[in-house]
Amino acid sequence: MQLESKVPSGPLTEKWSKYRGEQKLVNPANKRKFTLICVGSGLAGAAASASLGELGYNVKCFCIQDSPRRAHSIAAQGGINAAKNYPNDGDSIWRLFYDTIKGGDFRSREADSYRLAEVSAAIIDQGVAQGIPFARDYGGLLANRSFGGAQVSRTFYARGQTGQQLLLGAYSSLSRQIATGKVQMYNRREMMELVMVNGKAKGIIVRNLITGEYESHAGDAVLLCTGGYGNVFYLSTNAESCNCGAAVKAWRKGALFANPCFTQIHPTCIPNSGDYQSKLTLMSESLRNDGRVWVPRKKGDKRAPNEIPESERWYYLEEKYPSFGNLVPRDVASRNAKQVCDAGHGVGPTGYAVYLDFADAIKRDGRDVVERKYGNLFDMYLNIVDDNPYETPMMMYPASHYTMGGLWVDYELQSNIPGLFVLGEANFSVHGANRLGASALMQGLADGYFVIPYTVAPYLASIYGEAGQVKEDNPAFKEATQQVDDGFKKLMSINGNRTPDSIHRELGKVMVDKVGMARNEAGLKEAIDKIRALRDEFWKNLKVPGILDDFNKNVEKAHRLADYLELAECMALDALTRQESCGCHLREESQSPEGEALRKDDQFAHVSAWEYTGFNKEPKLHKEPLVFENVELTQRSYK
Amino acid sequence: MNWVTNTFSTSIGKKLLMAITGLSFCGFLAVHLIGNLTIYGGQGMFLSYVEHLHSLGVLVTAAEWVLVLLAIVHIAMGLTLFFQNLAARPVRYEVKKAAGGRTIGSATMPYTGIIILLFIIIHLLTFRFVDKTPVEINDYSILTATFSQAGFVLLYIAAVIIVAIHVSHGLWSGFQTLGFNHSKYMPFIMGLGIVFSIIVGIGFGFIPIYASIIA
Amino acid sequence: MSDTINITLKVWRQKGADDKGHFETIPVKDVETHMSFLEMLDTVNEQLALEGKDIIAFDNDCREGICGMCGCLVNGIAHGPLKAMTLCQLHMRKFSDGDTIAVEPWRAKAFKVVKDLVVDRSPLDKIIQAGGYISANTGGAPDANSLPIPMEVAEKAMDAAACIGCGACVAACPNASAMLFTSAKVSQLALLPQGRPEAAKRAINMIRTHDACGFGNCTNERECEAVCPKEIKITNIARLNREFIKASIGSDVM
Repeated sequence: MQLESKVPSGPLTEKWSKYRGEQKLVNPANKRKFTLICVGSGLAGAAASASLGELGYNVKCFCIQDSPRRAHSIAAQGGINAAKNYPNDGDSIWRLFYDTIKGGDFRSREADSYRLAEVSAAIIDQGVAQGIPFARDYGGLLANRSFGGAQVSRTFYARGQTGQQLLLGAYSSLSRQIATGKVQMYNRREMMELVMVNGKAKGIIVRNLITGEYESHAGDAVLLCTGGYGNVFYLSTNAESCNCGAAVKAWRKGALFANPCFTQIHPTCIPNSGDYQSKLTLMSESLRNDGRVWVPRKKGDKRAPNEIPESERWYYLEEKYPSFGNLVPRDVASRNAKQVCDAGHGVGPTGYAVYLDFADAIKRDGRDVVERKYGNLFDMYLNIVDDNPYETPMMMYPASHYTMGGLWVDYELQSNIPGLFVLGEANFSVHGANRLGASALMQGLADGYFVIPYTVAPYLASIYGEAGQVKEDNPAFKEATQQVDDGFKKLMSINGNRTPDSIHRELGKVMVDKVGMARNEAGLKEAIDKIRALRDEFWKNLKVPGILDDFNKNVEKAHRLADYLELAECMALDALTRQESCGCHLREESQSPEGEALRKDDQFAHVSAWEYTGFNKEPKLHKEPLVFENVELTQRSYK
Repeated sequence: MNWVTNTFSTSIGKKLLMAITGLSFCGFLAVHLIGNLTIYGGQGMFLSYVEHLHSLGVLVTAAEWVLVLLAIVHIAMGLTLFFQNLAARPVRYEVKKAAGGRTIGSATMPYTGIIILLFIIIHLLTFRFVDKTPVEINDYSILTATFSQAGFVLLYIAAVIIVAIHVSHGLWSGFQTLGFNHSKYMPFIMGLGIVFSIIVGIGFGFIPIYASIIA
Repeated sequence: MSDTINITLKVWRQKGADDKGHFETIPVKDVETHMSFLEMLDTVNEQLALEGKDIIAFDNDCREGICGMCGCLVNGIAHGPLKAMTLCQLHMRKFSDGDTIAVEPWRAKAFKVVKDLVVDRSPLDKIIQAGGYISANTGGAPDANSLPIPMEVAEKAMDAAACIGCGACVAACPNASAMLFTSAKVSQLALLPQGRPEAAKRAINMIRTHDACGFGNCTNERECEAVCPKEIKITNIARLNREFIKASIGSDVM
């Protein structure tokens, strides 16, 4: 299979304007003949639905929660990057592009990452016009902060709720289109199948999560804006309903899944305290600006942190990385935390946590200053853990947070299935092997507001004669519905004695342990065997109480878990074949003499795109070579 | 003119009518109380106040009709809001606790309102709609005769306490509804509401007691 | 490290909007006090599932207090006894051994019960659709810094914009009014210069939709403010009232 990236020719800085200048347009009068299906209503989905509705297309938007205002984009705290250069500190589109591609360890397409940086400024303009109350300086102009170790202040924010405010902005535009009737909103629906007619995406089957009914929806193109697959790790910072279902359905229909092993692990999350734990709460990374990370030098030291004398504390980040210290990038901090815990130095009830100590900061700056900076975070920690961070060190552990991998798309955000577009976290396109802080919001909105309204047009123009031709009465819908129903009946008929959660928890442990931050060949092979065994267990011993035609969370969970169990194996396989360390991940066999991550550009400067080949069959690897004409590939060093 | 009906048929419109009429009644209460304080100056002062008031003639009648109109609006809107609000939660909670927002005053507005309505009827029948033509009967004698009965004294004290409770929520609530809520001034307005309700309670509450002593 | 308590759960079970519903009493043993309230419900559900019984339906999603999906009345108070907190952030250590905990869904005419503790809050979306937006098509926005907004104004707008749309204000209001919710959006957009052009239309249309959805009337009981997990203040309702008065008297909107 030839993977055609469709990147326009010409200089990097002119590709997007060239594309926009030369692309085919859809005549305004013809736009209303097209119906677009948008699955998901987070930043990407809401922004796309609203913008396409404004353009005159008919949009059907599907949301898994009870309202589009609840999509998990809402949980992003820190901010959104944009190359506005308001602070006059040397930022530019080029610099944001370069930081993005370098941060992603040179595993994304230059053109896609550049376009992201290019449209970033317009997102802020759009947000302000929508009434998003971004933080401002005394003079009334927008405030910026530096985020995630960036050397320039390019992050815009709305307190610690930037994701919420950006989502509500997109939601308000979406609501306006719903009111005009251009967008039809379907809440509490989960996509169950992608319907294809003559090799093109022409609709979806959804399940109504209240009644359990299946519904058919036909359209001229399908936009997946369904987020990432971080919940494959069971414990993650993702919300309960985040799932990879839609992407896996498309994968099974032939869409390629790119770089599934590229997941981001966030270093500062409140650790797991017991088996009942349902999710991990992220604490802002800014805590590392003043907190010192340490573990006891003695393995298995069970003393309370305040009883451990200074000489027996191991400030491992400060020791190993004298120049960056506690501020090493996310992946380095995460990986080292896991290493010291694996080696037996971990603290807390499970032994999988490290201390983040503010005693020195309080001594140096006073409690008032620390409280002003981190008061709300400390309160949050106190409420969840019941420990007072002003007196005892916080406990932290990395947790799955974001997935850079996703469905393969070309420059137009179109997958290899004609008519199937993938936006936001659900695609693989811009972050490479690691995502910069405050760039997730940027990508979701860039794709939804400023990319898809242009890039969907050429496809629609090419199928003009087919507009609205495929309807819900097409036999493909009946057939797909039947398959979906058969799948559910099969799940319900297993009637074993394990709940979906118990199997998912076990899968999560395998994934965190073997397919997480640091990996090796033996571990990955073991993981694949374990995942296969769990899949067998699932199909033999699952128990789903209740009935199908009802509001039944167990049915939802079981169905999603079946997808995770397939994707998990592909993730492990992808990690196995990528015999290099890059981005978030250390491949233990690929380290520099100092024990740092070593990238192998000669062998692995490509996108790994996996083709589904059938249940219990190994997926097939396709490679899209990554060509770098504008940036020099450098190795990171934080020593 | 359908913007008028449109405006006042919304929930805020109805509240506005409640607030305007309610605050007017607070003003009336203040004036009424000041007038009534002449009782402490003895029969002569009290009767001269009454006479002075009656000498205003048509203005008094007009004022009375305005009060009747205000009352009709206040009562009609109050009942409408009460029944609409009941209907807005057709299935009640099995277990419900106040979370710290409501007060005795706010929680009992409809009920204290109805009691006040009944009281006003009794009050008017006792003092307003009585035959005052015989020379031996004047407003002072009616007052002392009424409050020589212990039952009336108790009834009036109880009623005045209810009025105070109603006003304790009503006054600041009226300001809030009209949009006067500012972090600088609202504490003052809420304080005023409490002080005003205490003044109303004590001011009106002591009149029956005093009247029963001098009777 | 962690203690356990035994509690008795009195949880509302209702098959759907037409079912009458009832309290079911479930004794729950050995609840770890480090659990969140929803994790306690998870473990109860896990047990019910293994016994082949229908699990307790409840809404939740992010479990970090921002999505607004969760929420029930716990012992008669929306989102439970703690101030400024969503239900997902309530932990079992706030309860004592032997406690009986009553759990009920939000109740309002406008919020139909879907199942057990799950209600339909789509009327809140309808209120937003009636005007809770600024009509700014994608692409036409001027530079973000072209219109300075005083910091205090932006902060006030942010206070109002923090609303998560959970519906606790409606649930706690003795009149099942959604005035705090409506006022938060009207306030946010009324404060900002970008929102002024549509302010009159917005205030009037959102209130009319609010009423049409079957929410009650605000009588300034302040229960909404007391339970709001994001501490939205009733000063926003006063601002909404001002906006409404201005719009009704001073604008061309009929």
